[in-house]
Amino acid sequence: MSVPATQLLRVTRIRAVTDRVREIRLADPDGRPLAGYAPGSHLVVTAGGTRNAYSLTGSGIAPGDYRISVLRTGDDGGSAWLHDVLRAGDLLAVEPPRSAFRPELAARKSFLVAAGIGVTPILSHLAAARAWGRPVEVVYGYRPGEAAHLEEVRQLAGPDLVEAQGRVALADALRERMAVQPWGTHAHACGPAAVLDLFTATARAAGWPPARVHLEHFRAPELSPGRPFTARLRRSGREFPVPSGTSLLEAVLAAGVEVPSMCRQGVCGQCLVPVAAGRVDHRDLVLDEADRLASTHLLACVSRAADTHLELDL
Amino acid sequence: MSDLTRLPWPFAPADRTFRYTVNVEPARRRVETPAGSWGEHVVDLGDDYAEQMALRRDVLARDPGRRQALPHMEPACWDMLLYLLRELVSARPDAMHLADLGSGAFAWRNDLLGIEQSFVLGDAATLPTDPLTWIGCQVPDDILMVSDRGGRLWFDAALVTWAAAWSVKFDIGMHLDEIHGPVPRLNEDGVTSRATRFMRSITTDQTYRRVNWTFSAHGSPRRDISLEVKPEWDADVPQLVRDGDFGRLQLRIELEHLTRLPLTGTLTFNIRTYMAPLAEVVEVPGWGEQLAAIVAELPPDIAGYKGIAPYRDDVVAWLGDATRTAAAA
Repeated sequence: MSVPATQLLRVTRIRAVTDRVREIRLADPDGRPLAGYAPGSHLVVTAGGTRNAYSLTGSGIAPGDYRISVLRTGDDGGSAWLHDVLRAGDLLAVEPPRSAFRPELAARKSFLVAAGIGVTPILSHLAAARAWGRPVEVVYGYRPGEAAHLEEVRQLAGPDLVEAQGRVALADALRERMAVQPWGTHAHACGPAAVLDLFTATARAAGWPPARVHLEHFRAPELSPGRPFTARLRRSGREFPVPSGTSLLEAVLAAGVEVPSMCRQGVCGQCLVPVAAGRVDHRDLVLDEADRLASTHLLACVSRAADTHLELDL
Repeated sequence: MSDLTRLPWPFAPADRTFRYTVNVEPARRRVETPAGSWGEHVVDLGDDYAEQMALRRDVLARDPGRRQALPHMEPACWDMLLYLLRELVSARPDAMHLADLGSGAFAWRNDLLGIEQSFVLGDAATLPTDPLTWIGCQVPDDILMVSDRGGRLWFDAALVTWAAAWSVKFDIGMHLDEIHGPVPRLNEDGVTSRATRFMRSITTDQTYRRVNWTFSAHGSPRRDISLEVKPEWDADVPQLVRDGDFGRLQLRIELEHLTRLPLTGTLTFNIRTYMAPLAEVVEVPGWGEQLAAIVAELPPDIAGYKGIAPYRDDVVAWLGDATRTAAAA
C-alpha cells in the first residue's frame, strides 16, 4: 500500500450555505472526468498547511464535480484558510475520495441521521439512495438558521424526512422513528459526539443489532497524550522511545520506516500494522471487539503500548 | 497451439515448493518470463478474444445460471461495468473507446467485437441485457463480486463460465470462510482470515493481483469444467492418465485481480484463466524442471485437493523425461 496520489483540482465555484458553512466545488483543470466515489466518502484537502478531511455531498455516480461543505471552526487552521484565502479559480491539492462510511447495499432500507454539519455525508447517502431507488428515511437535527443544505435534503427526501429543531426534538424524533423501522434496516448517523451517543443509546434501547448501526465521527474524540514507552521493530531490530504526546506512527515514520497513513485519528484504518509482542492499548474506532482480543494488529496513529514495551512485526 | 508468451507463470524463479499463502502483489506491473511477459494491464484479451467470448455466450445460452446476482447487487454490477470498460480502454486504447457524455451517459465502442452502445449508468433499459452479462461478454475474466458487510466478505454476484470444478450456483450467497472450507490448510493456517483482512483494507485506488494454479480436469484447453457439466469431463483425465498422454494435460493458471469498486465499495475478485498443455510447458527453459520439483514435493492434502494425487508420480516422471528430451533437442 502506498501513500495516495495527490491531484490538483480547480475551484469552480464557492457559495455560502449558511453564515458559517461554505460549499466548494472542484473539477479537473483539464476537463477530465473525476473518479466516482461511494456515498459517505471524504476528500482529504490540503488547506493552507494542514490536511483536513471533508465529506463529499454528491451521490458519487459519474460526478461532474466534487462538492464539499466546510464549517468554519476557528480563526486559524484549515477551515479558516478555506473560508478566508481560497478563491474560485484557485487550484486545490486533494487526495482521492476514500470511504469508511458506505451504505449497506443489502439493507432493506437506509435510516439516515444528520446533526449539524454532519449532514454532509448524509446528503451523499440520500442522493445515492434516490439515484438507485433504494428505500430511505432521514432525520435531520439542526439549530434554526444553521441548517446546511436543508433545501436539498427536503427536495431529495420529500415525505421521507423528519426535521428536528434542537437536541430535545432530535431525541424525540430518534426514539419515535427508530422504534418503527422495518427489520433489515441499516442506520447511519453523522454528527457531534453527543448526538452519536444519543443515536447509539436509542438504537440499543430499541433493540437494533449493533452490526446495523453505523457512525461517522466527523471529529475524533480527544485522546490523552498517553504514557511514554519503547517500541521495537522485530525485522530490523531497531528500538526507539515513543514519548508522551508522540504517536507510534510518528515515531515509526521518524525512524525511516514507511507505513501508509491518512486520517491519523484512528478512523480510516490505513496505518494498520502487525504486532509481534506486548500488550496494546487500542484507541482507534476501526477494530472491533474480536480484533482487539486477538490483538494481532494495531492502528499506529492512535494506539499505544499498554505497558512499557511494544514490539511490531515491521 | 496455446499462447505461452503471455502466460503468468505462477512460480518465482527460485521456488521449489508450493503452499497456499496470501500471495498478493500490486497489479499493473509487467513481469518478464522465459517465454514472454505478462501483467502490464488488468485486462488481458489474448489472441483468441473473439473465440473466447463466443464460447462464453454459448455457455450462458445453454445455462443462464452461470450469471448470479443477489437483488441488492444491481448498483455493484453497474460499478463493475464502468470499471471494466475503463480497464479495457487502458489495455487496448486502439480498439476500445469510451466517451463520458456527462450526467451518467456514456458511449462505448468495442472494435474487436463490433459493439457500439450508448447507455446511462444505472438505467437498465439502456442496455440490451443486464449490465453484468453485457460487460461479462466483453472481458475474458470470470467476474466475481464480493460485498464487505458485518465484518465478513460475501460472494453476492458473479458471472463465471470457466469455474474449475466448482459451481457458482452453489457458492453464491456464502461468505468467504464457507467457500474456502474445503481447501486444505486455508482456514486452519489463518490464510482466509488474513486474506479477508487484506481484502477489507483495499481502497479504490489500489489494484492487487494473485496467481493460482492447478492441473485442469480436462485434457484440452476447452475451459468449461464447472461442476454443472461434471459428467462431460469427469472421465477425461483418468483416460489421459491410463494412456500416459501427459503432454495433453493442461497446466491451469488463474490470474486474479482484486480491487474495490468506487461507487459501491464492492470488492472484485476477477479471474482470468490460462491453459498450457504440458507438452508446450516443457519446451520453455526451466519451466518443466521447476514444475516437476514442485509437484513432487506437494504435501498429500494439497495434492489431493488439486486432484493431482492419483497420478502425481506419473506426471513427475513424464515431466522429467520430457524436459530432458526438450533440452537435448
